Amino acid sequence: MPGLVPGIQGNGLLSVLPWIAGTSPAMTKKGNTPEVHCRTNVNAGEREQTMFNRREYEPEYALLRNREPERKTNQWGKEIETAPEGSPLREEPFIVNGDEPGHNMRNPQRYKQHGFYFNADNCIGCHACETACAEKNQTPPHLNFRSVGIVECGTYPAYRRLNISMACNHCDDPVCLKGCPTRAYTKFAEYGAVLQDPDICFGCGYCTWVCPYNAPQLDPVAGHVSKCNMCVDRLEVGLKPACVAACLGNALDFGVIEDIPDNRVQAELSIPGFPDPNITHPNIRFQQMKTLEREVKRVDSMPVRYHLNEDKGRYLPEVDEDKLPEKAWNLKKLLTSHEMAHVAFTLSIQAVLGAFVLLVLGRWAGFTPIAGIAGSAAGKWLPWLMVAIAAFGLFKLNMHLGRPHRFYRGFYNLRLSPVSREIAGVSAFFAGLMGYAFFNLFDNAFTNALRELSAVLALAGTGFGGYYMYRLYRIKARPYWDHWHTGVAFLSTGLAGGVVLLALAALIGSVYTTTLGQLTGWLVAAALAAEAAALFLQWRRQHKASSEAAVSWMFMTRSYGHTFTLRLALMAAAFATALLLGLTGWPAALIPLALALFVEKLLGRALFFAVVVPTTMPGAYFWKNPGFIEHAREVGLADNPMVGVAHERHHPFRVGELIKTIRETTWAEKWDQFKRIFTG
Amino acid sequence: MLFGRTKKNPVNLPTKPVERWETVTCGYCSTGCSIDVGLDAEGMPVSCRGNAEADVNRGKLCLKGIFEFDIFRAPGRGTKVLERDHIREPWRESTWDSALDRLYSEIRRIQKKYGRDAFAIISTGQMLTEEFYTLGKLTRGLIGTNNYDGNTTLCMASAVSGYKRSFGSDGPPGCYEDFEHTDYLIAWGSNMPEQHPVMYWRLKDAHERRGFPIVAVDPRVTMMAQNASLHLPIRPGTDVPLMNAMMHVIFAEGLEDAEYIEKNCTGLEALKEEVAKWTPDRASQITGIHPDTIVTVARAFARAKAAMQVWTMGINQSTHGSDGVVGINNLALITGNVGKPGGAPLSITGQCNAMGTREWSGTSGLPNFRYLENEQDRKEVAEFWGIDEEFLPRKRGLTQTDIYKAMEAGEIKGLWLIATNPLTSLPDTSKVRRAMEQLEFCCVQDSYVDAESVQYAHVYLPGGTWAEKDGVMTNTERRVNRVKPIVTPPGDAKPDLWIFNRVAERFNRERNRPVKFPETAGEIFEEMRQLSKGRLADYSGMDHELIEKHKGIQWPYTIEQRERGETPPKGGVRLYTEPATFRHPDGRAKLIPLPWEDNNEHPDEEYPFWLNTGRLVEHWHGRTKTGKVANNNKFSPIPFIEINPDAARDLGIRHGEYVRLVSRRGDAIVMAIPTGRVPYDMVFLPFHFHNAANRLTLGLLDPHSRQPAYKQQACRIERIEDQEHAARLCKEMRTF
Repeated sequence: MPGLVPGIQGNGLLSVLPWIAGTSPAMTKKGNTPEVHCRTNVNAGEREQTMFNRREYEPEYALLRNREPERKTNQWGKEIETAPEGSPLREEPFIVNGDEPGHNMRNPQRYKQHGFYFNADNCIGCHACETACAEKNQTPPHLNFRSVGIVECGTYPAYRRLNISMACNHCDDPVCLKGCPTRAYTKFAEYGAVLQDPDICFGCGYCTWVCPYNAPQLDPVAGHVSKCNMCVDRLEVGLKPACVAACLGNALDFGVIEDIPDNRVQAELSIPGFPDPNITHPNIRFQQMKTLEREVKRVDSMPVRYHLNEDKGRYLPEVDEDKLPEKAWNLKKLLTSHEMAHVAFTLSIQAVLGAFVLLVLGRWAGFTPIAGIAGSAAGKWLPWLMVAIAAFGLFKLNMHLGRPHRFYRGFYNLRLSPVSREIAGVSAFFAGLMGYAFFNLFDNAFTNALRELSAVLALAGTGFGGYYMYRLYRIKARPYWDHWHTGVAFLSTGLAGGVVLLALAALIGSVYTTTLGQLTGWLVAAALAAEAAALFLQWRRQHKASSEAAVSWMFMTRSYGHTFTLRLALMAAAFATALLLGLTGWPAALIPLALALFVEKLLGRALFFAVVVPTTMPGAYFWKNPGFIEHAREVGLADNPMVGVAHERHHPFRVGELIKTIRETTWAEKWDQFKRIFTG
Repeated sequence: MLFGRTKKNPVNLPTKPVERWETVTCGYCSTGCSIDVGLDAEGMPVSCRGNAEADVNRGKLCLKGIFEFDIFRAPGRGTKVLERDHIREPWRESTWDSALDRLYSEIRRIQKKYGRDAFAIISTGQMLTEEFYTLGKLTRGLIGTNNYDGNTTLCMASAVSGYKRSFGSDGPPGCYEDFEHTDYLIAWGSNMPEQHPVMYWRLKDAHERRGFPIVAVDPRVTMMAQNASLHLPIRPGTDVPLMNAMMHVIFAEGLEDAEYIEKNCTGLEALKEEVAKWTPDRASQITGIHPDTIVTVARAFARAKAAMQVWTMGINQSTHGSDGVVGINNLALITGNVGKPGGAPLSITGQCNAMGTREWSGTSGLPNFRYLENEQDRKEVAEFWGIDEEFLPRKRGLTQTDIYKAMEAGEIKGLWLIATNPLTSLPDTSKVRRAMEQLEFCCVQDSYVDAESVQYAHVYLPGGTWAEKDGVMTNTERRVNRVKPIVTPPGDAKPDLWIFNRVAERFNRERNRPVKFPETAGEIFEEMRQLSKGRLADYSGMDHELIEKHKGIQWPYTIEQRERGETPPKGGVRLYTEPATFRHPDGRAKLIPLPWEDNNEHPDEEYPFWLNTGRLVEHWHGRTKTGKVANNNKFSPIPFIEINPDAARDLGIRHGEYVRLVSRRGDAIVMAIPTGRVPYDMVFLPFHFHNAANRLTLGLLDPHSRQPAYKQQACRIERIEDQEHAARLCKEMRTF
């Protein structure tokens, strides 16, 4: 049979592994690790295999190449070898489904970075790769680890469609791994595979925000993320991943990175429609030699086209005017989205952070209008009000998780993840705030000392958590957010929200003073002015940029155009009221100011989340088309599971599961887990 | 670089609990891929993979094959025998005995009252060959209606007709191995990446190794057209003028293979006379292809050492379908490109066993390409079956398309529909409904109870599907492949063979000397072997075991070859390899002149767009299967049109909006997807969806094959103001 590697009868898998032909298929044992056998057996009768059931005959195209790469480093200058000979990493067992081949049966290229190779000229968009992946990984129909996106260019008959099959690129700089707060990700020395463990994940979806390739898939039904696993079980038995073996266009290939497959000449880092590879240094190489037009367009609902930038030699994203939406309010869509949890959390926590900082610093500085509040009856209940507001935000944040009962895992990646740091900081603040509120109920030297200590903790948490709350939105794959305006907006909310909260408390507690009113007015005016200026500068920089941020601004001014106008009007109104309050200190101005400010912040923050357009892979017509997914949910097509769209759903807090985890985790393991927050 | 954690966790990947693998042949298209189906401990299919040892697919599968294990447990499978007195009544559960007795007595009642041919039987290209053979024997030998056809009239009839006219018999002469030898390939109306993806891979793989020009003739910029060396964006329905002009160039420049023609063909002068009128300039005005391009392609095709032509529905489904096939054959014959490695006119079949029904079902004649019109053939078959020769009609009866016209006219009163769903697949749905409403009795035998045609049935018989049954299928390259029952049909459903045999028992009771109907597929195959001896489709060297062992055997494989100890070749078996071995009585192929007259419905002021229909890679026919496999269906769950972006802009239609398509037959609501794949004056609408394409199609019939022209008609596009309402209608019409 042409193209097939004959197996040696009777010896099963081991004899057909290309790199060990002729060697003894003996198993190895290792000192301190459990005995690991490669029990894979081609005789399907005995179901002993736990790795991957390699057949006696596998076609040539499915076999991993075993050849030394010509280069030592990749095009980004990084070593292709992931762990040098003799490295302890090579000694640690790499157990896949409870199984590992012995030393002499291992792929000699195992400790080199592997990656996909995609010949875009050849892809016919037949979906065989996607489907083979779904079959192997048993993914539900509404998600897939690999998908084919489409861009097209030209006019009939001078038309060309470019299908882009994309999964995880097992990046040199895995932003998913660095972003994940639960440490569900690992980049293994074996093949350089970035693997994610859904059993660790708590379903926050932050990895899906930071990944430019749409590789991590947040399952709205299961409530956790999963992603391409490079088919490491197939790699271990000498086979290329399932998607590659399934390819019907000879487009998809796989091997040691920079090792260009036979009959291919290019090893490009990008093709039109592929996100900027500078973000993560993805391990994928391309061939694309057929001529394309200067502009290629996405076929999904996203009004994005890619325009050739001669200077950069790359196609850069810009707004596709052919798909401009109507100017509208879209208030329902805006205020009922999945992201409203983030709106509630960020707004409430920022206001409370601001109020607390002002309260404590004001008291410490002896600034009478604020110290007056602290010393009054209101000073007793105000911290508790803050606790309540913050708790509301934290509750909303936690309950938006796919696995809310795994909340405690939020700190796990303190070493790398801004989300973990934010959670740690905010938690410290919240603990400090509660301590402050509690010890503030008493008045003796001991409780006062504890109160001040709590305040210090809360302030430290404010600084740390507040900073990372901002940092975590500086995501390169979300260019609208990746601007300093985000920080100004957060500060402005904290300052304006905080001071208004204090002033309102003073009013209710009858300790309102004109000075406090004036201070409130000037602070709010300053905060609003700063935010407006930042917004303007952001707009000036982004709205015509070669970036998805321009598309965000188009959504802002069209899809949500009326809402955005209302927000700007409210901003102006609040600013005017704040000036009035600043000049006069009239308490009557405080109520309309608070109202205007609240609605303005609510709309502003909701818009912040709604308009962001990720730098990501182009979608297709139905499957992986954000417009169709939204439509299918709206009109009920999604009720039919065969449509491949799942409804968003709420995930319960499973107390039972939490208790079970607590019970089943030994103290030693708990201690280990705790240590690894700091060690990784 | 263990990055992210200091402690290496074990990796757990999903695994499938496969206990054993069974190898069968795919039940979707005619490529004939060999599939290993993985069964779990309970014997439920849980996985599919391409069999790596089979020459056809060499381990590959398309997305439909990859998830084919899902169809056994899919929703909508019929598990109960159903009966009712009137189509307006609800169904009641029934028994096989009651339903089959009724089928028998209704057939005889209608035949007695209105005449033998007033009861029609329409089958499919989906069953196994032994089932086709048995149904043919039952229909021709016992029931005796001449209005017996298969839905292959909707896909392959023009190829059959064209082959018969040119070569004297049906039977595609080439094979997949030809891709590895050819120096020039023209794909006429064939979008292989979408329609036959694994066959395309064989082509692509061969092409990557050798490189040769590929010409795609298609009005749409399909992936095939885009990846071809040359795309000829032809005006719909004008292939014959293009072929004539190519022949004009070949003869004018003396590029024909005179020696081959001399030895193998008749009718050269008449052909030359006709094509002399077809200058490239004249053809260019009609086809829209640049005259120089016609000249270039004709020259390169004629000069190639071996040139191959493949075609699919772009040729077959048109008013000149049969002529188009003859034109392709003419081109192959005058350049000597028949029966040699890399030189073939290869019709790519549609359904998994369209070839099996062409060979054995006797819908257009008698088994193994025998003709009703031929006395010797009638005699042979009658004797073999043990029936009276006079019982066989002397002329072929109506085709499926004409049967429906006769139903409308009230000439046909009863119908037995087997594994086909005309309510989705025939052109002009409203006429189909009207025809079926008039039936006195209709029995639908199908594995899916939700197939729309069941709405008009009085009796529903739940059939088995694909690998619930035992037998063989023939693929595009005449390879006989095995299918084994690896799963039992659900509930009361039975393999079609079992059903035919039970019906035959009832008719046999009328006879003193019953006709033998063997119970097992193996015994039936034995009958077919005997009937095939010395015929073109010679099976005599094969049996089920040998076919299984070799992962399919191409016919002919004769008993003589077997007795000589010749193992069946892996591939590469061709027809007409020796001079003057064609099937016309003189052994020569006919060169047939093709005068051309445009009789299509053209776009006009009222209906300004061409409506072109076709297939999507993710769907199979009426979606009774793929509509229930989420990992296929999700790639296009609702009907849509491809519309040129400029046309969409001029009509004020936005990306992803619903539009109303209106033709002279009816209307349909579909989603609009602007793309430069189609010209300004054309929309492309996939035919898979019920209540979509065929509400609009005209279906003019080819005069020879009676195959409908699905791809050339006019429509207009209306913007829909109330998009919510349109979405609701669209959703309601998708029960699967």
